[in-house]
Amino acid sequence: MAENKLKAKEQAFKELSSKDKTKKITDLLLNNAMYIIIVLAVIYISIKVPAFLKLPSIVNVISLTAAKLPIALGIGGCIVLTGTDISAGRVVGLTACISASLLTTTFKVFPDMASAPPIIVVLLVILVAGGLVGLVNGFSVAKFKLHPFIVTLSTQLIVYGIILMYLMKGTNNGQTLSGLTDGYRNLITGTLFSIPTATGNVAVPKYVLYSIILVILMWVIWNKTTFGKNMFAVGSNEEAANVSGVNVSRTIIMVFVLAGMMYALTGFLDGARIASANANTGLNYECDAIAACVIGGVSFVGGIGRISGIVVGVLLLQIIFTGLNFLAVDANMLYIIKGLIILIACAIDMRKYLVKK
Amino acid sequence: MKKRIALLLVAAMTAATLVACGNSAEDAPAAAPAEETEAPAEETEAPAEETEASAEEGSVAVFYYTYGDTYISSVRSALDAALDAAGVAYQDYDSNNSQTTQTEQIDTAIAQGAKVLVVNQVDTGSDDTTKNIIEKAQAKDIPVIFFNRSVSEDVVSAYDKAVFVGTDYEMAGHMQGEMVGNYLVENFDTVDLNGDGVISYVMFKGQEGNAEADARTQYGVEDANKVLKDAGKEELSFYDSSNSNKYLVDQAGAWSAAAATEYLQTAMSQYSEANNNMIELVIANNDEMAIGSITALQNAGYNKEGATVIPVFGVDATDAAKDAIAAGSMIGTIKQDAEGMANTIAQIAQNFQGGADKFADVASDNVVGTWRVNIPYATYTGE
Amino acid sequence: MEKQTASSDNKNVLLRMEGICKEFPGVKALDNVNLTVKAGTVHALMGENGAGKSTLMKCLFGVYNKDSGHIYLEGNEINFKTSKEALENGVAMVHQELNQALKRNVMDNMWLGRFPKISKWCPLTSEKKMYEATEKVFEELEVHVDPKMVMSRMPVSQRQMVEIAKAVSFNSKVIVFDEPTSSLTEEEVEHLFRIINMLRDRGCGIIYISHKMEEILRISDEVTIMRDGQWVATRPAKELTMNEIIRLMVGRELTNRYPEKDNKVGEPILQVKNLTAQYSLLKDVSFEAKAGEVLGVAGLDGSGRTELLENIFGIATRKEGEIYLHGKRMMNRNARESLANKFAMLTEERRATGIFGIRDIQANTTISSLPKYRRGPFLSDKLMSESTEWGINAMRTKTPSQKTQIRSLSGGNQQKVILARWLLTDPEVLLLDEPTRGIDVGAKYEIYQLILDLAKQGKTIIMVSSEMPELLGVCDRILVMSGGRLSGEVGAKETSQEEIMTLAARYA
Repeated sequence: MAENKLKAKEQAFKELSSKDKTKKITDLLLNNAMYIIIVLAVIYISIKVPAFLKLPSIVNVISLTAAKLPIALGIGGCIVLTGTDISAGRVVGLTACISASLLTTTFKVFPDMASAPPIIVVLLVILVAGGLVGLVNGFSVAKFKLHPFIVTLSTQLIVYGIILMYLMKGTNNGQTLSGLTDGYRNLITGTLFSIPTATGNVAVPKYVLYSIILVILMWVIWNKTTFGKNMFAVGSNEEAANVSGVNVSRTIIMVFVLAGMMYALTGFLDGARIASANANTGLNYECDAIAACVIGGVSFVGGIGRISGIVVGVLLLQIIFTGLNFLAVDANMLYIIKGLIILIACAIDMRKYLVKK
Repeated sequence: MKKRIALLLVAAMTAATLVACGNSAEDAPAAAPAEETEAPAEETEAPAEETEASAEEGSVAVFYYTYGDTYISSVRSALDAALDAAGVAYQDYDSNNSQTTQTEQIDTAIAQGAKVLVVNQVDTGSDDTTKNIIEKAQAKDIPVIFFNRSVSEDVVSAYDKAVFVGTDYEMAGHMQGEMVGNYLVENFDTVDLNGDGVISYVMFKGQEGNAEADARTQYGVEDANKVLKDAGKEELSFYDSSNSNKYLVDQAGAWSAAAATEYLQTAMSQYSEANNNMIELVIANNDEMAIGSITALQNAGYNKEGATVIPVFGVDATDAAKDAIAAGSMIGTIKQDAEGMANTIAQIAQNFQGGADKFADVASDNVVGTWRVNIPYATYTGE
Repeated sequence: MEKQTASSDNKNVLLRMEGICKEFPGVKALDNVNLTVKAGTVHALMGENGAGKSTLMKCLFGVYNKDSGHIYLEGNEINFKTSKEALENGVAMVHQELNQALKRNVMDNMWLGRFPKISKWCPLTSEKKMYEATEKVFEELEVHVDPKMVMSRMPVSQRQMVEIAKAVSFNSKVIVFDEPTSSLTEEEVEHLFRIINMLRDRGCGIIYISHKMEEILRISDEVTIMRDGQWVATRPAKELTMNEIIRLMVGRELTNRYPEKDNKVGEPILQVKNLTAQYSLLKDVSFEAKAGEVLGVAGLDGSGRTELLENIFGIATRKEGEIYLHGKRMMNRNARESLANKFAMLTEERRATGIFGIRDIQANTTISSLPKYRRGPFLSDKLMSESTEWGINAMRTKTPSQKTQIRSLSGGNQQKVILARWLLTDPEVLLLDEPTRGIDVGAKYEIYQLILDLAKQGKTIIMVSSEMPELLGVCDRILVMSGGRLSGEVGAKETSQEEIMTLAARYA
């Protein structure tokens, strides 16, 4: 059956004129540009540094990608609404600090505490904290009709202020929080499973699994729920969505609350992953997350975006960063390469959405 | 309807802010500036009602380059405490890593009638910025105490009411290098995991274009090599021979733990004991990055109890680093004496206010010429 | 073809398009189309939606690149790459869907892309020159619009006039009007025709695209008819009758333009009492509507017709007034509540408030009835695609698939998708604002049939239209609005266009 289809396609392709053939091929290349770039990048890097394609390196890239996925998944929704969220990094910082201050053995922020609360309680606390910031963002965007950039610029500052105050609490004096409990660290960075190789076992950390779960969860939310459909409708034409009976305000607020919770989860993972948290944790995370979303085809035009695109975007950025690191590229050049890649990747991807004339 | 929502929200926000402020005043008696803007920051021990009067004339205005810096936070706590103890009115400003913000804050403080400026300049190594600040102060005959981030002698010496309280910033690098060297000479064979007679290392740099980071990156290795050579050992070798920089830098310039964790994790996916090319030594520009490295090492099964310890060195002696050293997962750090710096600044500020000689009651060993006080560093390898 | 030369030899050929072909992925949009326009004539271009009229004009105008064929302007071959090039060479187009910078004022829009400079040496734009030039064009065309008025604050009809004035201001030799009257009132249409006649007398060649046959027969000298991307015929307008045009367009006889009215009007179910709007001129409107009834709303543009529907549906702020359905008070404070109360509304401006352009047919069809497709917490793809399929079949929507972006469909097909969207909410009261705007004859008939079928199922339909024959042909009763108030109510069978016009002018 599948073979027949393939044959039919091949036949149809052969019947095309040569001009059409070139066009078909160009289209095919452009539509899969991201994948092609990834493959080319991997091929180039692994020719230069063969270790890049060895198992430890692959696991490394996958786990770094996993660590950066949740924040991008959150921000993606805001971009679908033609908005953005620049408070994301600071929310990651805040929730990482909250997690690290509670799930610790030293209790510098809360000197009166004797033992760490159950992890699930802390998880709920940070989800509420992240959700609250999202609520303020979403409420201001939906009800005051402010541009998300302005709103999240404000909350970014507010959250940073809160982080600084929080770190000054108790006996901490603005110091870096560390001394995390083993339970917390194991839950996140513990070994999910080990892959035996000739040169020893390669451990895959547990947070890779959590990221995969979040990806699936977000995919279901975006594609299989009323909320998801409404989100895309609001993103592509807010007025029409309103007339069609979509609760526009509630949709916007929910997108931001969901995003806030995803940042909180990023913070929760990052606290344990880095095993410390301070006022700089999460700084500028939103830049890479936004870049990854846009590279993955979540368009600022609104109403366009796929979860698979976000995953590909984050993966591409991570491969490039790690690869440049393997290639020992000069630090100054890294900035330039990073900028160029984002620009070119987005330009190629945007072509897909242009109305062909 | 909309109006009501708006009012409710504004009310809720205001209430939340007030509650937050109230809490911080109670919970953090040491220092809790509620706002990072140039609005009057809260005076620490004063009751909440009096905070607004804190911009009173004759106060000491203190400008920190950013509240986000862990070490600077230590200095701030200590300086707030020292000034409180001396009964000196003061006001703290967060310049949030922007020289523009700081310069504007200085204008505001001068306009409010500040009597002493204590400046942790944002742009290090910019004479024009320093000159600009001094000119502003000189016009009103206000003394200026620069601290922590270095300023140049020429500019500071030109105004007799200007001093610099700092550290010999190259010193930290030199001391770190020496400490690394000495440790390696004593433990060479343990550290040299593959027994090839060469220690392969990684250097984490905090930021590009920062004089301190440059010095630490350079001397941390150079001085260690000197010690090794004198002891007849091979010099250090950067783990990745194709990297001509011989360091990995935090792309965001934030000296962050996350950057070190991710770099080291990535490096170890290529360089490992199994491949017989494991990184055998980690030198970091600050303790944040050292702690980040330890995280990556621990995730890979190193630097835990009973496991192989890859020696990690940092600078700053933050609480986290001290804990790590105590736990045996880190070897050493260089202590920047936050309290010593704060006390010296407080003393000089009082000297200026009281009309005494500016260096009165300051340890004379530390005074350099007529313009500078150096707060000494100390190595820290556990107590 | 042979008739073209026969009809008026004495007039010069201004524009000649020969053998134009254009292919889109999977569709042959234009197949060897010819068109000849002579100076000093109005040439009507007719055809059903999707026949290729707009595509042909876009090829002329440089919006699309033609695949093959030749275009000659005054004997010289041309091939415009951009619309700017076309404009500079004397070819202008008044687009069907207005592409205007709504937040800018009239003169900014008029001179966009060619702002006059203060002088050769001073490259700053001259507001004064711009104002004067705008005034001059407006005076010539008898348009009464303040050049400094912000576009978004003007009704669609005035914005259309600005677009026409802009085309004229290029001193164009060929001007294309694409459905220019779809948002104009009768009076404004007369005004437009005066302008067109004036341009014709100047020696311009006018290409006039419209679905309104009365207009075509009145204004045009020659008519070219297209069907399915192909040229069908070019005839002098004098030789054509309405039925003949329809036959050529549809390719079959269309004996009746309106389906047989066989709906049974039942008991009154909807009462609207003293409806007054907060922010618009709508004032004190009361009426009743019955089950199975098609109730028309006539009136001039700006008479409050659209506002009436918007206030019933809750997407405009009500000041006072009550709505009762089956004797029960309906608050209808917003679209969601109205939907829950079994109201549905098709809006006037399809692109601004109707379609989700970049979303596909399925998303556009199901958006208002999503809860219906829920299985547990998730939406069922199967149910959604079934409903969409039903919508496509019931409306006879022409689309390659459910996954096609709605913006790639023609206006009529877009309208059908939105109608399907509303029918899927299972409404009792359907508010339709200009349901057949920009839709071709064949599709119009289908939509009339649909409206009557819905009435037969006992639904109440309130339909606003600028086309009076349509109201007379489809409705049972007609409400006439004037100056925001209800100026009269007439039975569709007993009334005449004249009576409605008189009522419409009552408070205007």
